[in-house]
Amino acid sequence: MQAPPPSRARRRGIGWAQRLEIAALSGPAILVFLSFVIFPVLMAAYYGFYRWKGFGVPTNFVGLDNYKTILQDSAFLAALWHNGLIVVLSLVIQGPIAIGLALLLNQRVRGQSIIRVLIFVPFVIAEVIAGTGWSLMLQANGAVNGILRSIGLGGLAEDWLANPKLALWSLMAILTWKYIGFAVILFLAGMQNIPEELSEAAAVDGASYWQTQRRITLPLLAPTIRIWAFLSIIGALQLFDLVYIIWGQYVASTAGTSTMATYMVTEGRNAGNYGYGNAVAVVLFVISLIIALLYQRFVLRRDTDGALTGGR
Amino acid sequence: MAPKKALAMAAVVALTAASLAACGSGDDNDNGSSGGNVTMQLWINATTGPGKAYWDKAAVDYHTAHPNVTIKIQAIQNEDLDGKLQTALNSGSAPDIFLQRGGGKMAAMVEAGQLKDISNDITDNTEQAVGEAALKTGVVDGKAYAVPISILPGGLWYSKDLFQKAGIATPPTTLDELNTAVTKLKANGTPIALGGKDAWPAAHWFYFFALRACSPDTLDAAAKSKTFNDACWTKAGEDLKAFADTKPFNEGFLTTSAQQGAGSSAGLVANHKASMELMGAWDPGVIASLTKDTKPLPDLGYFPFPAVPGGQGDPAAIMGGADGYSCSKDAPKECADFLNFILTKDQQEAYYKAFNALPVNKEAQGAVTEDFLKAVLDAYNKAPYVSQWLDTVYGQSVGNALNVSVVNLLAGKGDVAGIIKAVNDAAKKG
Repeated sequence: MQAPPPSRARRRGIGWAQRLEIAALSGPAILVFLSFVIFPVLMAAYYGFYRWKGFGVPTNFVGLDNYKTILQDSAFLAALWHNGLIVVLSLVIQGPIAIGLALLLNQRVRGQSIIRVLIFVPFVIAEVIAGTGWSLMLQANGAVNGILRSIGLGGLAEDWLANPKLALWSLMAILTWKYIGFAVILFLAGMQNIPEELSEAAAVDGASYWQTQRRITLPLLAPTIRIWAFLSIIGALQLFDLVYIIWGQYVASTAGTSTMATYMVTEGRNAGNYGYGNAVAVVLFVISLIIALLYQRFVLRRDTDGALTGGR
Repeated sequence: MAPKKALAMAAVVALTAASLAACGSGDDNDNGSSGGNVTMQLWINATTGPGKAYWDKAAVDYHTAHPNVTIKIQAIQNEDLDGKLQTALNSGSAPDIFLQRGGGKMAAMVEAGQLKDISNDITDNTEQAVGEAALKTGVVDGKAYAVPISILPGGLWYSKDLFQKAGIATPPTTLDELNTAVTKLKANGTPIALGGKDAWPAAHWFYFFALRACSPDTLDAAAKSKTFNDACWTKAGEDLKAFADTKPFNEGFLTTSAQQGAGSSAGLVANHKASMELMGAWDPGVIASLTKDTKPLPDLGYFPFPAVPGGQGDPAAIMGGADGYSCSKDAPKECADFLNFILTKDQQEAYYKAFNALPVNKEAQGAVTEDFLKAVLDAYNKAPYVSQWLDTVYGQSVGNALNVSVVNLLAGKGDVAGIIKAVNDAAKKG
């Protein structure tokens, strides 16, 4: 006869009362999480297997048909491609600009606080308001073309939103304007954490300003940059609101700015195919999850060592 | 799992169950009970102004005539109505009477058993006053599930002043005349307005070209087969492409919305920045709300979609929709009686005055005074047949595919074959 191994709780000495306390205190949070995050995800997976118009209980089980259709639909593949472009362009455009601005603001510059506010304000403005404003300004008869014409550069006036060659770049400009403030604030916070002594020591050793930034500031800022890149990638994958506000429900695919999320709304809600739309939601979820897990595993590994990977 | 851990989990689960149980509640419907006092919920899409006032008064009038029936009105923003209604129908707490847009959505509600069959409750008086053609809009598989309350035929809404200024004496009746007119109007900087951002106004151009190109039998057959392989669909697409190649629409039409603000297509017509717009009969009201003084546009006129050579459709055929009202499955029997009541002459005249929309009751149509509505009525009564909006007939899925592919065509990104392929593919998605 072997005695049963003592449970881990016994070893750590967690008693009944404490367990009840933990359950009572974390119960509400777990409950909210289960009912508003996990449950809808499971429901989406369930609806995704049906052909369902959204009325009554789904009865027409079609297995993986929805997923086959999605992965063969050129409109979805185009949206996926746009998402990929937006992910890469966000990192390539926003990263360097934000690092430059953060370096600038990390010194004593005149008017520092004003610059800071100007950079950060767009991030605070609601997406719907920013989208409406930009769509009005960038229309063919909008303010941007009006200004160009009034200063004699009418030749440069373009249909910034509807021209498929330009639309994605217009979107990137708006995204950069909107989210650069977030990156700058993150990087500034990261720079504040770098001990002064290091740059002082470098200065004593005769390092130039650029050498100091390249050899000390940037390497020590790397964890912050990696976290920002992670948030940026996830944000770009889930991009919906700005595109939907500026290009509406249908023009996004024509202009070449559709994303997986706008495809989901167009083909799901607007077409009344709720089963199909839920399947798209599952695909989007799985793609985001895989990318997030890979990133955590290979890029953030050093930063999160001990916190997530069990201290290996 | 250690027993204690299991108990702790059980505690969490119990907490969960208790709080979830507190969420579920529903108001009890008095299922079809009658004789005693009855309260019915009515959902409408007019939240302000004379439209809301009309419904308030209709509910009071009905209560006066039937003291045991009370009608509670809930006014919901037009854009929110469909979603809220769907949620209510699915959760079994549906309103007794509600606005019904018909078509594929109504068919889905019928299929899910959410609507009351009112075939035997429509009175002879109603049938005579409204007529079979209009009542057919509420029929699915030979049974009536809704009654129409107003007819909304489509056509071109135009500014008489701008036409005069361009030297156009009479509205165009053929495609050639329309092309000539557009050339003159564009020379004055007043093109056709098109709300391409919302896509459905662009798709309407295709619908009308299809109405001229396809015989009514072909249109009906496609509703069942959901295939669009008849040559007339391709002809409709080519007609549209040839027309679009003349660049008749306002600059930047792809990012112009249909009904929101002075920059929308209706706003361009309201402010004389564009000469005309292809739209359903709700347009005069939308245009009126966007003029500088928010009064109806004084020089607004209407002409039906012109004849197009070489098609199998009748050149005088017209296309349009009908807003209607339905009773939900568990509504008391007084619901259908109320529907008959709102279709009586006096009620319909009041409805017309409140909404500026054509009433379905033929006796009430005599009260129409506006020129443009008379022109609509004239075209409607002359038409050999009336087709519903094609996206209503073929369902949302096909309508959505048309929206996307027609916008692609107009943007020069897709072709006619792309439209046909998109609608044939739409069946795969739902």
